[in-house]
Amino acid sequence: MATRDSLIQVTDLKKHYNRGAIKALDGVTVDINRGDVMVVIGPSGSGKSTFLRSLNLLEDPTSGSIVFDGVDITKRKYKDPQGKVVKVNIDEHRQKMGMVFQHFNLFPHMTILDNMTLAPVKVKGADKAAAEEKALALLDRVGLKDRAAAYPIQLSGGQKQRVAIVRALAMEPEVMLFDEPTSALDPEMVGEVLDVMKGLAQEGMTMVVVTHEMGFAREVGNRVLFMADGLLLEEGSPKEIFEMPQHPRLKDFLSKVL
Amino acid sequence: MFVQMKNFSVVATYAQMFQEGLVVTILLSLFTVLIGFVLALILAVMRMSSFQPFLWLAHVFPGVFGFFERDGSGMKRDSGFVYHLGRFNPLSFLATAYVEILRSTPILVQIFIIYYGVFTVIKLPNFNMFGFIRFSRFFPGVVALGMNSGAYLCEIIRAGIQSIDGGQSEAARSLGLRQTQNLRYIIFPQALKNILPAIANEFVVIIKESAITWTIGVQDIMSAVNAVKGATSIIMEPLLVATALYFCLCFPTSKIIAYFERRMSRGDKR
Repeated sequence: MATRDSLIQVTDLKKHYNRGAIKALDGVTVDINRGDVMVVIGPSGSGKSTFLRSLNLLEDPTSGSIVFDGVDITKRKYKDPQGKVVKVNIDEHRQKMGMVFQHFNLFPHMTILDNMTLAPVKVKGADKAAAEEKALALLDRVGLKDRAAAYPIQLSGGQKQRVAIVRALAMEPEVMLFDEPTSALDPEMVGEVLDVMKGLAQEGMTMVVVTHEMGFAREVGNRVLFMADGLLLEEGSPKEIFEMPQHPRLKDFLSKVL
Repeated sequence: MFVQMKNFSVVATYAQMFQEGLVVTILLSLFTVLIGFVLALILAVMRMSSFQPFLWLAHVFPGVFGFFERDGSGMKRDSGFVYHLGRFNPLSFLATAYVEILRSTPILVQIFIIYYGVFTVIKLPNFNMFGFIRFSRFFPGVVALGMNSGAYLCEIIRAGIQSIDGGQSEAARSLGLRQTQNLRYIIFPQALKNILPAIANEFVVIIKESAITWTIGVQDIMSAVNAVKGATSIIMEPLLVATALYFCLCFPTSKIIAYFERRMSRGDKR
């Protein structure tokens, strides 16, 4: 049962392809609490990205449920506390889940500032000037205020990813989902992005991070999930996962990456 | 010499026919572009719509038709006949059929079917536009050209939209944008930039292809050439005049669109 601080409850989540011939997710159950920095690790093809992308329904799960803020977003309708049947509007829930992608996915035809104000203005109906002021403050925080008028192609990979993070933050999400945010970066740019994420974690932002950066998982995460073959094989604190691994797959994985 | 200067002075006496022909060609092209573009948008929207009646039934009456979405064990279907039947989109099917048929038959055949077939059943009023354009010939020509270019433009639009990386939509939707907002603010602006060269090409093709309407008696530039030929047996000189006129129409058209293309590619420059 969900605890008081539980934000997302995932139950028996499955994502199959070709009538179950391929099981990208094969029954994942996990509770994500407010303030969690949950790091998901595992070999490639283990389903960790599919798991993350299912959380805001970029992947349509084959079965299982995802309850976010008390609403099962995998269903088409739900009963609100007054017992009224309400249609699930996934767009509303996605506003509260910021997402950062491996390939940044900034909008190339818009300036950095427009990238950041588009959703607050068009989705939340925020005042344009106020949205810009807030965007500039966020850019300032990641050291990119002077690039507000630039187009994405003029930025380095690390700068693009920092913009992508604050673009998601501009919507004031309740949880941030990171899908291998440093995997497409040149090695010297990984640090600047991880620093921003670390800062976010210290502020208490709820985060789910799929990554290959074991140092980050160890240092910043408060929970580490190990996935393989679409299954959640082991869960624990960074100390438990990295120093006292139980599952042979996890031991094998760690011996390869550490 | 095939081309003789004195023949041009003969052609010059037909100047008014060429002038009127030029106006007809321009009007033909403009209306064709207009009809073609509107038709193409409708077709493209139909092709990319998510109108799936069987899946809709499954959502409204899950008890009866739920099997279209989920199999016996409650898992969402992802392959097989019932899955594809559930995703069958009649609008998309119709639009695809239209596009494929129009692209796979000669435009000459299409024009004849429209003119001798459709518009002998539908009687058109017999009047002249601007005093010299016979509506009963002009209108079928525009309809046939518009229907044809609509099919090609639809393919161009669809290809342009599909050329945008899927990550763009994912980013937009993850920020909470609705699908319509995603299309309007993210996909269309980028797609338009990508397809402008192809659209420019199609506009130029329309201007040139409009020449075929003289076969149903539309008095465009080509029909002026034919009139000179019929009256004087001079052929090369009027053809050269027609060549020059068509070039003067097509070349600036592609240049103007190239200008807009450059303006829209600001985000590409470092």
